[in-house]
Amino acid sequence: MSLDRSSRGGGIMKMTLSQKIGLVILLILLVFAFGGTWVSPYSLSQQDLNAILQPPSTRHWLGTDQFGRSMLTRMSEAVMLSFSLGLICVITSAIIGVTLGVWAAWGETVDSIMGVLVNILLALPGLVIVLMLAAIAPGSFLVLYLAISLVQWVEYFRVVRAITKNVIHSPARQSTKMMGFGVWYQFKRHIWPSIAPSIFTLAAFGGANAILTMASLGFVYVGIQPPLAELGLMTVELFPYYSEAPWVLAQPLLAIALMVFGFHLLAGKRT
Amino acid sequence: MKVLLKLTDISVYAGDTCLLEPISLTLKQNVPLTILGQTGSGKSLLAQAIMGLLPNGLTSTGTIELFGKEMTLKERQSLWGSKLVMLPQEPWNALDPLMKGVEQVKEVYQYVQNKTPQESLRLSMDDLRNVGLSGSEYKRPDQLSGGMAQRLAISAATAGGANFILADEPTKGLDVSRRDDVVRLLQSRSAAGGLLTITHDVAIARQLGGDLMVMKAGCLVEQGVAEQILRNPQADYTQALIEAEPKTWIDAEPVSKESHDEILIVNQLSLKRGGRILFEGLSFTIRKGEVVGVVGDSGCGKSSLGDALLNLLPFTNGTISRLNHEAKPHQWLKLYQDPPSAFSASVSLGQLLNDLVRLHRIDVQRIQPLMRRLKLPKGILERNCLEVSGGELQRFAILRSLLLDPVFLFADEPTSRLDPITAKEVTELLVELANETGCAVLLVSHDPDLIRKTCDQVISL
Amino acid sequence: MKTLIFKRLVQLVGVIWGVGTLTFVLMRSLPGDMAYRIAASRYGQDNVDSQAAALVREELQLDQGALSAYKDWLLDLLQFRLGDSLVSGEPVIETVQHMLGHSLLLSFAGLALSIAIAVPIGLLSASKGKMVDSALMGFSSLIRAMPVFVIGVLLLLLFALHWNWFPVAGFGTPAHLVLPALTLGLSLAAVSNRVVRDSAKRVFGSSFYLFSRVKGLSKWTTFKRHGIRNIAVPVVAFLGIQLVSMIEGIVMIESLFSWPGIGHGLAHAIFARDIPVIQGAALVMGILFVFLNTLVDLLCHWIDPRGVAES
Repeated sequence: MSLDRSSRGGGIMKMTLSQKIGLVILLILLVFAFGGTWVSPYSLSQQDLNAILQPPSTRHWLGTDQFGRSMLTRMSEAVMLSFSLGLICVITSAIIGVTLGVWAAWGETVDSIMGVLVNILLALPGLVIVLMLAAIAPGSFLVLYLAISLVQWVEYFRVVRAITKNVIHSPARQSTKMMGFGVWYQFKRHIWPSIAPSIFTLAAFGGANAILTMASLGFVYVGIQPPLAELGLMTVELFPYYSEAPWVLAQPLLAIALMVFGFHLLAGKRT
Repeated sequence: MKVLLKLTDISVYAGDTCLLEPISLTLKQNVPLTILGQTGSGKSLLAQAIMGLLPNGLTSTGTIELFGKEMTLKERQSLWGSKLVMLPQEPWNALDPLMKGVEQVKEVYQYVQNKTPQESLRLSMDDLRNVGLSGSEYKRPDQLSGGMAQRLAISAATAGGANFILADEPTKGLDVSRRDDVVRLLQSRSAAGGLLTITHDVAIARQLGGDLMVMKAGCLVEQGVAEQILRNPQADYTQALIEAEPKTWIDAEPVSKESHDEILIVNQLSLKRGGRILFEGLSFTIRKGEVVGVVGDSGCGKSSLGDALLNLLPFTNGTISRLNHEAKPHQWLKLYQDPPSAFSASVSLGQLLNDLVRLHRIDVQRIQPLMRRLKLPKGILERNCLEVSGGELQRFAILRSLLLDPVFLFADEPTSRLDPITAKEVTELLVELANETGCAVLLVSHDPDLIRKTCDQVISL
Repeated sequence: MKTLIFKRLVQLVGVIWGVGTLTFVLMRSLPGDMAYRIAASRYGQDNVDSQAAALVREELQLDQGALSAYKDWLLDLLQFRLGDSLVSGEPVIETVQHMLGHSLLLSFAGLALSIAIAVPIGLLSASKGKMVDSALMGFSSLIRAMPVFVIGVLLLLLFALHWNWFPVAGFGTPAHLVLPALTLGLSLAAVSNRVVRDSAKRVFGSSFYLFSRVKGLSKWTTFKRHGIRNIAVPVVAFLGIQLVSMIEGIVMIESLFSWPGIGHGLAHAIFARDIPVIQGAALVMGILFVFLNTLVDLLCHWIDPRGVAES
């Protein structure tokens, strides 16, 4: 059980320098995503075949792709899409995983049922499960979201369950219970403070992984479908033009790497 | 007599902060030297400075003469194992967790003394037999008890031929009965050489004899012949250390058995844990205001007995009857061995106290007088459990319990993690308050002296 | 140990059931007339007629009720009757066997490379000063932030397209293996070097390591006798966690470099909706995953017999 005061989570002030840098990177990307869609006069699929693979200019700040579509629009849409998916996947899987984790640590029947379920889910690598579920409805954002959340809640469950088990058997919780405090109080004072830092770390890694998974699926053509903009999909689409327009290909690659890097930094120390 | 070690003005600094005030000492062949003092008094730094093992960032000044020659760090390090050796504080951590016991001795013969593998194995088997470890040669450290592990560590440390031994708290975490074995072994291993022991335990200093230096907060308090100092201490601090030894405490006045009501009757109680029977057929009665002591070696089920009485652990057989029916469940409480682990560090102690006051509608007026009584400074309420000392926290735990008007308190080695002087204070307070409030206390300790001096009734397991 | 083996057995059953169910749902959820679609993918859009569709319908027993079809589907699976590919018409077992060989070659090459990279770097940053440590760890954080396909794309651009040192894609010669294996090795090593470093730091700073020196053993002897094995414990346990990254990496890398392995096969089959191949590939991946995990468990137990490590 971690009683380390510095890792009590919460609050930007308590973050380490690298965590703050990570947060800044993510905020900049978020501002870019919002600002890009707001500033750019072009729509997502508006083609201009007379101006394909243009370098950055005053008309097209980030240049154009192979169909003459504005890269600024497409990049900001794609970054926005990644962030949205990351966010809802983190929220969903964290809520499910934490609730079930605490519940399983407290009750034995739930624990054994969950144990078998988790064991089976862990028998296949996450990406393979997501790939197969994505195959049922190709290009569906909803299915992607459900599949990724299904894979990700397990991690929260395992960590939260292990920590909660420790806390439940700790002298501190035992003594609180003996003094007559109720279940909610025990959760508030003992369990939550112990799991909160780990949940934060897991959430940051989870956000990165969700974004990565969506990009991976896009990259093998079974994720989000054209003409929508998605970072992995854009990478394959633009790959053939690497020599004519390296700046265009570099954009989605850089965006993915920055997002993942930002989340990794934000997560702080690996658990 | 030959001088083995001569220190002149050795001090240790962390940057500009002085952690160990300049100290000089002489250690002669066959005269053991003991440094006595509480934890945090800089004793361990001295041993590390002599060995050349100071952690990064710490520097030492002064000169170190070993075997009549002033030596640099490098020169001292070259003596490791063959001439000079330091025993680890916690043998469990100092032994390779994955290597069988005999291997850890054998490798010293093989690589330090350059003997053949067969010869090394034979010698190390002999060594282990001599320290009473036959049958356990091929066990890993985690399969050994604390005393066995320390004997293995001593064998491994001295296999290289060193007979000048530095021992830093060599009996930390050992039962009293094991402690004597280890001290005797140390004496025999350093017979023709030198022995420098660092300890907080007056009993060990007395047992070892020879010369004694008493230290407090990095400073030397007094030095001289051990026997004389311990019989007739000059400094107040030495006096306090000696008085903190349970052996010297004043006997408790027994609670007269007739005058008080029985609150708990235990009949033919048996307890099993992990398939092993801890005890069987245990019967006793606890009265109001009585202090009941439980003694026994570690692992004998002392703490389990207390937990069973509080319904925290299931028992195999027998009955436990609580006779005081007016008492609510939250008036049967426990004090824990490791104070910080018994509190949530997420909020301040004051907040925790408020929570309790609100839950049980306790009269706030009672807190101040109790805090004064327990010598708890007011500022403590603004800090959390990791920011106060162990002694303060244990007294805060007592405060918290007393506010609930307990009828029974199970104190599970409540002072074993505290330094001797604080331990004495806390124990005395606990007993006093139990007598005043009529709360029965079940006091578990590994120290038979402490139990004998404080308890009305003793249960030996 | 027994409970661990039992746990793995349950996983094996879970994999077979899970893959079977998923592919069954997949088959039933294909839009339009299923038989027609499958026939189209099998014989080509131009050659489809109602006769061909009827043939498919009969072969796959598409007319029965969902429940009995599900039962038959799982029974077939249990006997490893995986059927034929809807695209190539070849037996799935043969296709998968062929792919498995390529995947194993790639994964072992990648794993070996990752160990060759991670162990020296981890030990170096644990034993040299803070400067070396920060530099190496900072660099590995950068690589860690890159998805495996981004690493692959960069290596491809640099070594295959720009400098023409290695072939862009395909298989057959050792030169073809270099870039895919390097991509996998780099992405694995970027994570595991930190585990090696943390473990080595812990061991180098432990009291038993120091005690060995105090006993008189030299630095090198201490490292050999007390360092290697103790450092290896968490590193090997981490291998189990890395298996996930390895299999996921393989899917991406094989697709990128057109390496004819299981991952490439699976991604391709999902794109083409070749259900028998999806089933076969996912099944083999799952079984391989469970098998390798068991292997890591045994390895952990052998290195550290103190207690079975939590998987």
